[in-house]
Amino acid sequence: MRADRTLRIAIWETTTSLGNLDRRTGIAILVVLVLLGALGPALLVSSPAPGADLYRVGVSESSSYHVVVLSEPELQAIDPASASLNDGLDIVIAGPNVVAKDTKKSKAAAGVFREAVVSYNTYLMAQERDRTAAFPVTVTVSYVQQSALQIEDPTEGTETNADSPNGSAGGSGIASTSTIAESTGAPDRTPLDETPDSGGDDGGQSGTDEPDSPAQTTVVSDAAPNEDNGPGEPVEDERVEDDVISSSPLDGFLGTEQAGTPTSISPPFPLESLLLAFVFLLPFNFVIQAYGSSVIAERINRRGEPLLVSPATRGDIVVGKALPYFLGSLSITAIIAALLGGGIRSVVAIAPLAALFIAATFLAGLLSRSFKELTFATVTISVVLTGYAFLPAVFAEVHPIAAISPLTIVVNELQGTPVAWQTFFFATIPATFSAAVLFMLGTGMYREEDLFTQRPLPQKALDALAAPLHSLWRVGLWTGLFIPFVLVAELLAVATLYLLPVALSIPLLLGVIAIIEEVAKSIHVFAGFERGRFDPGLRSAVSIGAISGLGFFLAEKLLAITQLVGLPNLDLGQAAFAPELVGLTPALLLFAPLVLHTVTAVISALGARRSRRWYLLGLLVASGIHLAYNVVVVSSLG
Amino acid sequence: MRSEKTIILALVIQLIIAAFSSFLVVGLVSLTDPGSTTGAYTVQMGVSGAASDELERIMDLGESREATVFQSETAAMSAFEDREIDAVLHAEPGSDGRIHIDAIAPDGDFRTTLIVTQVKAALTDLETELRLDRTNRLTRAPLSVPDRSDSNPYYGFTYTILVPVLVFLPAFISGSIAADSLAEEFERGTFGLLRVAPLSVPQIIDGKALTMIGIAPAQAGLWLLFLELNGTTIARPIEILVLATAMTGVLVVIGAALAIWVGVRREAQLLYSLLALVVFGASLLLPENPPNLVAKLAIGSPTATSYAILGTLVLSSSVGYWVVRNSLSRHTLGD
Repeated sequence: MRADRTLRIAIWETTTSLGNLDRRTGIAILVVLVLLGALGPALLVSSPAPGADLYRVGVSESSSYHVVVLSEPELQAIDPASASLNDGLDIVIAGPNVVAKDTKKSKAAAGVFREAVVSYNTYLMAQERDRTAAFPVTVTVSYVQQSALQIEDPTEGTETNADSPNGSAGGSGIASTSTIAESTGAPDRTPLDETPDSGGDDGGQSGTDEPDSPAQTTVVSDAAPNEDNGPGEPVEDERVEDDVISSSPLDGFLGTEQAGTPTSISPPFPLESLLLAFVFLLPFNFVIQAYGSSVIAERINRRGEPLLVSPATRGDIVVGKALPYFLGSLSITAIIAALLGGGIRSVVAIAPLAALFIAATFLAGLLSRSFKELTFATVTISVVLTGYAFLPAVFAEVHPIAAISPLTIVVNELQGTPVAWQTFFFATIPATFSAAVLFMLGTGMYREEDLFTQRPLPQKALDALAAPLHSLWRVGLWTGLFIPFVLVAELLAVATLYLLPVALSIPLLLGVIAIIEEVAKSIHVFAGFERGRFDPGLRSAVSIGAISGLGFFLAEKLLAITQLVGLPNLDLGQAAFAPELVGLTPALLLFAPLVLHTVTAVISALGARRSRRWYLLGLLVASGIHLAYNVVVVSSLG
Repeated sequence: MRSEKTIILALVIQLIIAAFSSFLVVGLVSLTDPGSTTGAYTVQMGVSGAASDELERIMDLGESREATVFQSETAAMSAFEDREIDAVLHAEPGSDGRIHIDAIAPDGDFRTTLIVTQVKAALTDLETELRLDRTNRLTRAPLSVPDRSDSNPYYGFTYTILVPVLVFLPAFISGSIAADSLAEEFERGTFGLLRVAPLSVPQIIDGKALTMIGIAPAQAGLWLLFLELNGTTIARPIEILVLATAMTGVLVVIGAALAIWVGVRREAQLLYSLLALVVFGASLLLPENPPNLVAKLAIGSPTATSYAILGTLVLSSSVGYWVVRNSLSRHTLGD
């Protein structure tokens, strides 16, 4: 690959795509962009909600609750004289009581109404002068890691978390709260105490409650920022920080400490990270649409032929054509990160995701037979990769695994939490590897036979898989490179099977995992045999299978070590994903999986050397053995 | 055969989307709605501190929470770390007569949301109760809070997010496919062949567009059926499908028009995506925006305005289709 050629192709790709844009289309795009820009503020002003007026509430205008119903967008106030519970109303407010029907909707309406009353009271109380009577309870929520369910370590106790590098883990979480409290507590209390008489009796209390008072002041300014600025003015630095944290848009997400009145606490909800995922990933959809079109356009009417016969190598062409789109995505990411208050770290973390989007689209553009197929492939890529980025929220239970998403880094940076370099690598390397693998597979297909002919999809895929297998050792290497895909596929399986009852989902999950891993170990072996890369003899099949199994084993262990280094807080979820790590003697721990992976890979390789039908049979047998092994490991742990 | 594969692919994609959304919904619902599914979950709270009596009493008011009293915060914390309890509430009376609570919830756990929700609910109950004791010090009396019903807080989520997504997503994809289908004819140079056939240009457009318009509500209908089978009642399915058809009509017309006007896939698709965003964004400015309209129809609270907007959408979609179809045929014939 030569840099100057690659660069020239990149420039050519940029100029031709801009040059092809006739003035009419260019103006149209500009006009639409302006319209889009104008819509933004209009939508901000009108702030449309999908949940407006969902429930019909019968409440008379004289009722003191009428204003509550009006204040809650989800509730529709209807005069009880004009309708009844049997005739369209979901609930009826009679004095302080709620009359509801025995339906899900009616109960949900009652729940929404109750919440509305609570927040109306909070609004009412915010205008009261007697703060302690209006808000008699204050709370500080902090998040502390519970001990992992580790079976082999009976010595762990309260101290386990103390040596954890995670700042919020262990006792340090509470410790930091009280430090802030103690440093600000005493001087602040007197000027802030609006009702000294009420505090008088408690003045003689032991010192333990003193640390609590500054948190209360934070609370008050939280609940009624418009009013309480006067007494709340002389704040100390730590308290200001505390305030900033509580008002962050990512409040409480992934363990930010919160302080306030009970109503001001917002439980961490994964939708926020979904929102973040969309903000960063939405622009990529436009980029990959353009890039996918460019890839498939090369294949129409043999347009890509001149480039192929030029001295530029396949690598030059592929990288050169993708480079403008990658740089474009990076600059968009940089702008978004800057707007959100993120920095260079966010951009670097998102870059592998951008590359993954582009790489997957490249492959899709090569495999699609029509524009329609490409559109579906593009949508699939968007959905799957957005889901992948969304993992931190979906897999909060399997916490260390969730760090596989680069979005975790972005969330951390926006929250100002430091990120260990191991975590950073753990989050970005799988995506980087996946992108590289997809590009290499696509480059294997970037040749005349595959570009310009309508070959069936499976044949093309086999071409792509067989292309890089120049030697036996490459088989092991590629098995190892498939590991990130295996991991992602397994996580997706967990997400989907989670819906089923446990009795069904666990065995099904073990089976699916076995099949995924066996396919990863053998699919390229099969492609190699089909394309005549290897000698179909018995001995060669056995050695190829063994190399593939070894490659899988080594890569999996490498991943496990990365996890151990990057994420020391092993917990149940991780134990489920790497069961060999827990509770087995070291010899068995290394030996058993090695034997398993080699044996099963050899079995499917033996099938693959004969025909497709034999390969499927071999795969089935191999998956069966793998499943049996998984069941034994899991049940011996349980 | 080819088109069938495309539809299967479309269904698979939406299955993934639905799996993710329902993973969220079902996951949260099964944890929060006692008895609705297998996971009736009671949050175990460890209570300690000088003001723990009030807390313990409040705990008994809620169904999905239980309190255990500990002698000291240290004892509660060690039980917490051993996973015997889900949360620690350390309550101390403040010097000003308030009660301050240090709440500890698990970090980075799927249960965290549920646990913090229950902690919030319990402490809000405590706040309401203590506030009542102090009403004489307040100038405005707080409204009395009705009893908690066993409602599912994520009930609305299915109707306001999941159903609109499942109804509108096929519409957006249909428009994109319509653009693809026509742009490909131009790029491959096969549109001329089609015109040699005894078909008028409006007929060609009809053939391409109507298929795409038909597919989207069919997919949406299947989803509604799935939801219905899954126990989510859809109150007005017919109206929702009419709305889906109208939205698809608008988007397919945009896609087809752009493909014919631009003639190249990349630019046509780019313009289509942006215009689809504009159209959807503009539709949000309606008095009842389409997602809200779908939610209301699905949950069974449509108003007179809902029907008026539905009618307007159907009318403008049909008129738009007719106008574009006829003007396009003139456009291509003039080329």
